[in-house]
Amino acid sequence: MNKNAGWQWEITANPGWFRVNLKELIHYKDLLLRFVRRDIIASYQQTILGPVWVFLQPLFTTFVYFIIFSRVAKIPTDNIPPVLFYLPGTIIWTYYSDCLTATMYTFVQNAYIFNKVYFPRLIVPLSYILFHSFRISIQLILFIAVYLFFAMGGKNIHPNAAMLLIPVFIFITAAFALGCGLIISAYTAKYRDLENILQFLLRLFMFAVPVVYPASLIPQKYKLLFWLNPLTPLIESFRSAFFSHRPLPFFYLGISIVSSFLILMLGIVLFNRKEIQIMDVI
Amino acid sequence: MGNTLIKAENISKYYRLGVLGSGTLKEDVKNWWYGKSPETISTTPQSKDHIWALKNIHFEISQGEVVGFIGKNGAGKSTLLKIISRITLPTTGRILGKGRIASLLEVGTGFHIELTGRENIYLNGHIMGMKKKEIDRKFDEIVDFSGVERFLDTPVKRYSSGMYVRLAFAVAAHLDPEILIIDEVLAVGDSEFQKKCLGKMKSVSGEEGKTILFVSHNMQALRNLCDRALILERGEIIASGAPESVIAQYLKSGKEQFLGNDYSSQGSLPGNEFIRVQKVALLPEFLDQHQFIDIRTPLKIRFEFWYDVAEPGDLIAGIHLFSYAGDFIFDLPSKRYTLEKGLVRGECLIPGNFLNDGSYYISIVFVRNTIIRLFYLESCLSFDVEDYRENGSWFGKWAGVVRPDFPVVLTPQHNK
Repeated sequence: MNKNAGWQWEITANPGWFRVNLKELIHYKDLLLRFVRRDIIASYQQTILGPVWVFLQPLFTTFVYFIIFSRVAKIPTDNIPPVLFYLPGTIIWTYYSDCLTATMYTFVQNAYIFNKVYFPRLIVPLSYILFHSFRISIQLILFIAVYLFFAMGGKNIHPNAAMLLIPVFIFITAAFALGCGLIISAYTAKYRDLENILQFLLRLFMFAVPVVYPASLIPQKYKLLFWLNPLTPLIESFRSAFFSHRPLPFFYLGISIVSSFLILMLGIVLFNRKEIQIMDVI
Repeated sequence: MGNTLIKAENISKYYRLGVLGSGTLKEDVKNWWYGKSPETISTTPQSKDHIWALKNIHFEISQGEVVGFIGKNGAGKSTLLKIISRITLPTTGRILGKGRIASLLEVGTGFHIELTGRENIYLNGHIMGMKKKEIDRKFDEIVDFSGVERFLDTPVKRYSSGMYVRLAFAVAAHLDPEILIIDEVLAVGDSEFQKKCLGKMKSVSGEEGKTILFVSHNMQALRNLCDRALILERGEIIASGAPESVIAQYLKSGKEQFLGNDYSSQGSLPGNEFIRVQKVALLPEFLDQHQFIDIRTPLKIRFEFWYDVAEPGDLIAGIHLFSYAGDFIFDLPSKRYTLEKGLVRGECLIPGNFLNDGSYYISIVFVRNTIIRLFYLESCLSFDVEDYRENGSWFGKWAGVVRPDFPVVLTPQHNK
């Protein structure tokens, strides 16, 4: 009987719901960093402009928004210079969308590795988040450069201390994206139809987020619903921090933090539950 | 021994067959609606749309043991290794274990072709569970083992396939787990490199006392490396024990050999109005109790036929030996015989230590007056010749069609 006491691991038909093994994740931290490094190197291999693309993507997008939404559609931008208005919205939205898209394909994209070797699968989505965090860091530097350019150009813009919270905003965005991605990944692997629907929904979702218009444009009766979207207070707070045109929406920011982390927890639990079962259906 | 490292209890694995994808959502909803779960399905017998890849597997593996799994494709070997490696879940049962496991179900898992050899050593090492410090420490050894120093900073997409595999195996060979799981990776690389790999495996198991579980079709390697062998057949362990006898049992049972045919019991004899073949047989003269054909076994071919040609003339019966790949190995004619009508028996002995290991088939030709082909009995016998080597550290395929045992003599020449 005592012999069983020495077992260090057990494989059973039905692993429990809560088996996030933090110690194991830490053991594989080198792998996490190596995946990030791989993605950084591989994404700019054999491109002429290389990392410059990280800058060019948000700049182009902003330029297009400027033409369409500001010049043609004449949507107001809360008296913020349009370029400075679109840029943070684009950067944060792209970050969210990229993180979500990358993590939701975790199983489909990595089946060839998952089929051959064991490591905590959570490492892969985490590495995607870190990779895109690296990109958004560079893009934020771009934003600050453009911001300073406008500030020196005599535009009437005022930053405030909330700027120090920018990393927190990014972190919550990441948590929300990772949570959604993990939940979805558990199902896209099995039901491939979902991919098409989700791509479509994601594109629509962008218009539910104040990327190309200010939150102040939303009619009173939809306001609560609009602000319950975790991304809304994040993008609006970001703008408030740099332009001081509005106080920080602390209440909705709080809701955003709580809901993002609940979704993240749900995502991790579901992902851990499904990660090994999925290998039989992929 | 005695210290059990892995203990598998009642492991079964169920797979649903058929098209997975569009149909599954509907089916899942239906199953859910009727309250079905995989556990309830598992009581139904083997049917068309699902399969038991493993059935009630029990085994224990002790520390330092090298265990080989043998079985045909689809016998469940890989599934079992995948369950132990935590890649897929068993449907029932559990496995208890101690110590760190490294699985080599493939070499070079996770290699990224755009990255350099150096980057890939780290990437692959980490995937296999090594930490950065560990790889830093072994880096030079790994590079040395792989023999690709000069290309270390070249993206691996520019590597030849041989270099790629060598680099991949070099990383794998420097893993340092308590339990190593290997699936048929011996079949890679050139012979020089294979030798190196098997040597490494031997030292890992022998000197370092590591526990190894491996699947191979290379009987020579199994024989030399294993302490114990297990045969899997249709998801069940049907034999377990000392490698020599288990391998013999496997070779005897598993091969589709065609060692003889008595046509008279079947009603019609193959042939025509001149020749009717009644019987063909291959009679191996076994050397030991294991009773399978290896390269040492002399093989007697015996055939009986009715000869029915009235006009004067002579007959030659020729034996054609082909490899399974279709190479014509020899055409061995008899002398010219002048025969009466009636039953004739032919015999021929292929000596031991003549054919190399491999699969062969035999056809028999009957020729009249050296030029008129009376009848050709195509592929009437087929057999496999297994490898046999007394010892030695080289387990790769022996080259060549024949494998004679002529002496090669070296004599030192002294200058007087």
